[in-house]
Amino acid sequence: MSRFLREPLLHFLVIGAALFALYGALQGRSSGGAAGDQVIVVSAGQIEALAAKFQKFRQRPPSAAELQGLVDEYVEMEVLSREAMALGLDRDDSVIQRRLQQKMEFLAEDFESSTAPTDAELTAWLIEHAADYQEPARYSFRQIYFNPDRRGSTLRTEATALLARLRTSAVTVDVTTLGDSTLLPASSDAMALPLVERQFGATFAQELTALPVGEWAGPLRSAFGAHLIQVTAVTPARDSTLAEVRDAVTRDLMSARRRDAHARFVASLLAKYELNIEWPVADPQAALTTGPIRVATRLP
Amino acid sequence: MKRIRILLPALALISAPLFAQSPVVPRENTFPAKPYSPYANRNYPTRVYWGDEHLHTAWSADAAASGTTIDPEGAVRFARGDQILSNTGQPVKLGRALDWICVTDHSDGMGVTNGIIAGDPELLKDPKIREWHEKMKLGGAAATEVMSEMINMQSNGTLPPAMTDVEYLRTIWQRNMDIMDRYYEPGRFTTFHSYEWSSNAGGGDNLHRNVIFRDGRERVGQIIPMTTFDSENPEDLWVWMEAYEDKTGGRALAIPHNGNLSNGRMFSLKTFEGHELTKAWADARARYEPLYEVTQPKGTGEAHPSLAPNDEFAGFEIWDKGNLVLVPKTPEMLQTEYARDALKNGLMLEQRLGTNPFKFGIVAGTDMHTGLTAEEENNFFGKYGTSEPKGERWEDDALAFNGRVVKDWEMGASGRTGVWATENTREGLWDAMKRKETYGTTGPLITVRFFGGFDFVPADAYTREPATVGYAKGVPMGGDLQTAPAGKAPTFLVAALKDPAYGNLDRIQIIKGWVDASGATHEKIFDVVWGDAESRSIGADGRLTPVGNTVDASTATWTNTIGDPELITVWTDPEFDPAISAFYYARVLEIPTPRWTTYDAVRFGVKMGPEVPVTIQERAYTSPIWYTP
Repeated sequence: MSRFLREPLLHFLVIGAALFALYGALQGRSSGGAAGDQVIVVSAGQIEALAAKFQKFRQRPPSAAELQGLVDEYVEMEVLSREAMALGLDRDDSVIQRRLQQKMEFLAEDFESSTAPTDAELTAWLIEHAADYQEPARYSFRQIYFNPDRRGSTLRTEATALLARLRTSAVTVDVTTLGDSTLLPASSDAMALPLVERQFGATFAQELTALPVGEWAGPLRSAFGAHLIQVTAVTPARDSTLAEVRDAVTRDLMSARRRDAHARFVASLLAKYELNIEWPVADPQAALTTGPIRVATRLP
Repeated sequence: MKRIRILLPALALISAPLFAQSPVVPRENTFPAKPYSPYANRNYPTRVYWGDEHLHTAWSADAAASGTTIDPEGAVRFARGDQILSNTGQPVKLGRALDWICVTDHSDGMGVTNGIIAGDPELLKDPKIREWHEKMKLGGAAATEVMSEMINMQSNGTLPPAMTDVEYLRTIWQRNMDIMDRYYEPGRFTTFHSYEWSSNAGGGDNLHRNVIFRDGRERVGQIIPMTTFDSENPEDLWVWMEAYEDKTGGRALAIPHNGNLSNGRMFSLKTFEGHELTKAWADARARYEPLYEVTQPKGTGEAHPSLAPNDEFAGFEIWDKGNLVLVPKTPEMLQTEYARDALKNGLMLEQRLGTNPFKFGIVAGTDMHTGLTAEEENNFFGKYGTSEPKGERWEDDALAFNGRVVKDWEMGASGRTGVWATENTREGLWDAMKRKETYGTTGPLITVRFFGGFDFVPADAYTREPATVGYAKGVPMGGDLQTAPAGKAPTFLVAALKDPAYGNLDRIQIIKGWVDASGATHEKIFDVVWGDAESRSIGADGRLTPVGNTVDASTATWTNTIGDPELITVWTDPEFDPAISAFYYARVLEIPTPRWTTYDAVRFGVKMGPEVPVTIQERAYTSPIWYTP
């Protein structure tokens, strides 16, 4: 609602209505109704608003001459728009109609936005759309890389031999000294599964999820070569709590509400009308089948 | 169209060499040498964040005209990995979600076209708009025609007044900010406040810039986007950006793109109005335009074959028929359209002006007008609503003006930017863009590291953490070297890791450009490391044995039996002259894989003409490292 109240055109309409009321009162009192009876007031506040608007757009205040120009433009707009409305020119103008349509949309939207969802509503939404907010599984793992180009046919035997050594070795090994050098990280800490997939490839990510925790295993194949892997910790995928995703849930719930509100609003207004659509052709759908693009139209 | 002549204020250059003694110039963010603890002070970027700095939605006038209905909210949801319905009702999802996105709708006529599509009776009184409305209803080629015409009229400043309504722009900009803030999740997914200022000067000379803000709504909300109804002159955009920064305390940068459609004006050696360049002009350009979009669907902008006859990979996804409305191009225009020659001319201008105006880093974007940043070769949803997947799309017209045509098959499925940032936030990513620690690719998410210094040794290529030694001994991509120590030449640590979903790597090249004492510019390409090294070598002609080709066009598949998954080396410039200014950047090439048109041919069972390439060698281009004597 607040945005609606800030709309300059609303101010204009309110002021305009007041002026018309004043005009009516003056008309009633005066006998002639000759030119000069109507009043256009450009208030100090209005001038400040013009200057502020200029500054917002140009990033500098207007000069005295420019400000005079703005006031002149404003007066001209005022007098012409009043006379145009008096002639009814606003009634079939699509630009004005579109502006008014937009204002109504904002009105409906803001009304809906102003009612903050309750925790119960947010929780219900979260339960219904749990998959959208799921925390992905996270894997902490160390990897030793074997480059197929450097190792060739000995890769598998060398990797298997090292694996046997790692499994029997009682001491902690420094994995960064084993295998071949690579840009891939030697250890990954709580890496989300989608990121594992982006970095190592889909097959690797899938096979990683089947590995036991704590033990050295492999070799796993990736797009880069072979890897011995020690998964050190796994946090399984889980549904998020409302506290964790409140902002996102609120955003999505409000977004859905705005869409619903808009549809309901239009429907409720249309209910007051009888709608007669006079199609110019026998089969209106025919016009759409010539192209694959669904263009927004008023067709049913 | 009003053009105001503006005196550009002298601007302080952030990259001024404050530390003249050190050959490796410290950055705004300096990463200190490694302490005893291997885990302490690891405050350098350890992860590359992927995104698209250039995307249009239904709120761009020409996009809506071509049938696009996806708005910024749908675009953001798609970019972060959600499955949505495309503009033609096809389910679509990215192979790999992005880390950040810039929605850059045109500020001219932002959000207006939806009104024309709706077909308001008053608008339809205008015969031109009635014609547009009817054609948009038809979709397909007719809608493309409307889009072309809108571009043309915008270029010539003859758009209907309804499309230049400032109040409407203000409202749309506010709604855009609402959406970007709703989907900004610091640390997880970043949405920027951004837009495109689309100057088509002189009737279609593409001088477009994407304006990217570092700031949140409290600052960006104080302004509305500058349009070309204010000015078509980029110098005025820089003044506008400076005014924004002064007023709000915020920061903004502009990314020019498609010099290939500027008919010689993108990197012109004259000002917009044809005057001689000045130091103030160079300072402003260097300050506000630290990046250049080197590749996107409307062609690549790195190098042109006629400018780089010795570059066997320059003839790649080239669009050189004309400007944006296809006013024909003449050969001499090319020299000031492509990034590599601009980088060279920048060194030449620095000799003359004292500032290098073309000292830019590299990014890439999709410029999709569908709201869908879908640029994977096997998941390409076209550049316009009219070019979403369908069997015959390859032979449709992408641009058509007075019988001059660019076909849809000529579009590239291209445009990803990698940013080496310390965190996934507006501030973290923007700061990395500003210091040019970025690179662009034609699509794949290839990890690329590129460091320059004077002390790298071959053993550094075998370290387990190349970044640690890279930051300790040198500067990353986008950085500066100066005043070489006696007897030393620049050394570079360069490494690339393939995208696991794409092809293996063919090679890494380092491209050097320099200017001699007479002001003449030169370039040379060095193959520095390559896959299948045991069977490939550089021949007598100076060329590396081609990597081969495993693509099976009949199934749109390939095998990674050639090339390497990972390449790394240390390279020393063998022809270094410490008295001469130079730049170096890395280009990483993949092995050939199927082009998007080949996937189309297989999936739709269509046969395409011989002019359509079957394979593509995807590539990554890093920001340069500059050497100054």
